[in-house]
Amino acid sequence: MPAIRPASKRKPPPEGFADIEEDLLIFANKMKDAQNAPTDNIPKHQAKWPIFQISHQRSRYIYELYYEKEAISKQLYEWLLKNGYADAMLIAKWKKNGYEKLCCLRCIQTKETNFNSTCICRVPKAELKEGQDVQCVSCGCRGCATGD
Amino acid sequence: MLKSTYKPSPGALPPLPPGWTEHKAPTGHTYYYNASTKESTYKRPGVTPTPTPPAAASPFGPPSASPVPGAHPLAAAPANPSMSYLQHQAVPAINLSDPRVANALMAQYSQQSQPQHQGGRGGFGAGGRGGSQQQQRPRPQPVDKPKAKIAILGCEPWFLVYTKYGRRFAFNPVKNASYWRIPEKILPAVIELDKERIRRKAAGEPPLEEDPRYKSHDKEEEKAEGKNLGSGQQGLEETHDYDSSEYEEVEVTDDEGADHNDAEHPSQHQRTEDENQGPIEFTEDDFAAQLAMMEGDGMDIDQEYDFAAQAENVEPLSDADARLLFRDLLADFRINPYSPFQKLIDEGDKTGVFSDPRYTALSSMRERREVYDEWSREAIQALKEARAKEEKKDPRIPYLAFLQEHATPKLYWAEFKRKYRKEDVMKDSAHHRSFNDKEREKLYREHINRLKLPHTQLKSDLKKLLESVQLRQLNNRSSAASLPSQILADIRYISLDAKTRDEFIEGYIQGLASPPEAQSAAEEAEDEVLRKAREERKKREKALEERERRVEEEKRRQEKRLAVERARLREEERELQRAMVVDKKGLQSQLGGGAAAGGEASKEDEAKEER
Repeated sequence: MPAIRPASKRKPPPEGFADIEEDLLIFANKMKDAQNAPTDNIPKHQAKWPIFQISHQRSRYIYELYYEKEAISKQLYEWLLKNGYADAMLIAKWKKNGYEKLCCLRCIQTKETNFNSTCICRVPKAELKEGQDVQCVSCGCRGCATGD
Repeated sequence: MLKSTYKPSPGALPPLPPGWTEHKAPTGHTYYYNASTKESTYKRPGVTPTPTPPAAASPFGPPSASPVPGAHPLAAAPANPSMSYLQHQAVPAINLSDPRVANALMAQYSQQSQPQHQGGRGGFGAGGRGGSQQQQRPRPQPVDKPKAKIAILGCEPWFLVYTKYGRRFAFNPVKNASYWRIPEKILPAVIELDKERIRRKAAGEPPLEEDPRYKSHDKEEEKAEGKNLGSGQQGLEETHDYDSSEYEEVEVTDDEGADHNDAEHPSQHQRTEDENQGPIEFTEDDFAAQLAMMEGDGMDIDQEYDFAAQAENVEPLSDADARLLFRDLLADFRINPYSPFQKLIDEGDKTGVFSDPRYTALSSMRERREVYDEWSREAIQALKEARAKEEKKDPRIPYLAFLQEHATPKLYWAEFKRKYRKEDVMKDSAHHRSFNDKEREKLYREHINRLKLPHTQLKSDLKKLLESVQLRQLNNRSSAASLPSQILADIRYISLDAKTRDEFIEGYIQGLASPPEAQSAAEEAEDEVLRKAREERKKREKALEERERRVEEEKRRQEKRLAVERARLREEERELQRAMVVDKKGLQSQLGGGAAAGGEASKEDEAKEER
């Protein structure tokens, strides 16, 4: 286990971190709230939905800052990934065709399902029945197909 | 075009001579045209024009004079004795037990009897006309009504009465006479009044009507008026006779004729009270109410005109404008461009973004998101550029400021450097390779040496430095806090201690001239760009405002429509309920009621036709 360094000896984050620090703090607080929220009277499978959702939002935020708005430097982006502010595996999927809006990695994990299929949220709205309202079991996603 | 209040009843008119045809003018008047002679006239041909207008004023009015300025000559009076005689004959022959027939007849009958009566023939007594019949008379077309009256100063009993359509007449409540043509006696006073009105309009003072001096005087006079009215036909006739001997032109409108009837028939009075306001009998209250009504109407119309006018001036809100408006909103609320869109939405209530009308300039969340992303990318780029510019600033400026604060003759350069090695200003910057330790040492030594110089020399040096700067950069409008970098980067600037130096500089700046007017072309171009941007923005905001107003108006209109529909629905329901109620008498009464209702319906139909 690596030594835990005191704050004064820690390497400061790369330049530009100050710009996004506040928003990251908001995400951190939201995550903390979600983690501490009681799960007594909600179905068991829904207990982790807010955590998945916040994680997705934060990853999306960093992904957009780096790839779409080009607002943060490569160093900062890598530092953020390394420090767990964003999910690198999820972002890796977003770069692929057909996965641009993927909600979470579990929803494309075919090995975990009975019929080796993806989650219902991966089905485009056009192929669902008229007026069918879906919400996936793993993260509460209502549909993350690219064409929607 | 003004409408005459008088309506000839078509049934009573004799047939037209051959070659003449009857037409309706766009204003609603009937006129007659002879195709062979290409002659057209308002007067009904074939009938020798009656020498008098059909109103009660007829005995003393000159036959050719049109009583209403701007109105068409009245058609000949329809009074036809033979017709009325026939009517008298016909009445008993018809089976009046049938309510439909009776009602239809009565409607016709009462209508025809009116002009006859006004003609002074006095065919029917009050007893002959039941209240129920008069209700069936069609409501009069919009008639000219008195709107405001002003006392004519100097000619005391006289009033100048303004009507709804902007006409005016002189009115003498004592003699109870009205004249369209202002009598010569009071003409100078009226001219004075007009002058006063124009003057007030120009000065922006309240109009004459609101001035207590011009208000109709007191209740006594009103009472006198009322009494005069109450005294009845005879009294009126007397005054009119008196008037006619004095003035060549006495004008009494048809309204007034109706009022004469009122005096005679109290039953009719009730009905006409609210609509036929003759000039004689309007009281202070009526006048106020009418004025209020007119003002209300006028306001509405004005607003509508405003909308119309603005619609012409302001272009509709285009898509690009809507996007720009949303961007303006983001910029105005100082939204952090690094923040996610979700944050804007989450905190929209708190920051007041949602309540801003510009938020609704874009209709969908998807569009807003698009615009937000675009805006944030550009804002971040702009921020980065601004920062890069900051970096490029002379590194000497912060270093010299630091020296002024910390450098003392007690420390050698090596000591100073070691002591403050962690400070930003002591570190080499990637952007300014040329400003290295050697430069810093040189500046430090020079500064320490200068500290030993006498105070007066330091001051004169500073003055020399200030004088070397051009007037465009340093003038009486610049402040000591924002001096040009040329001064800040000079060693002479920091030699004096900060307080005395700032005082000295402020004094110097105040003694300077104002900046030269002629600015460089580049600056002017920049100004131009800024100005244009501002104008564009103003235009966009105007367009948005216009749209908001239109939406508001539409909403109001819809509400009104809804209310009307609802009222109609309620009315229908009530009618249904009434129809559902069958009392004990059963079918008989139901049938009777039905017949009566049918009669009513037929009357209504007739009324419509007559209109």
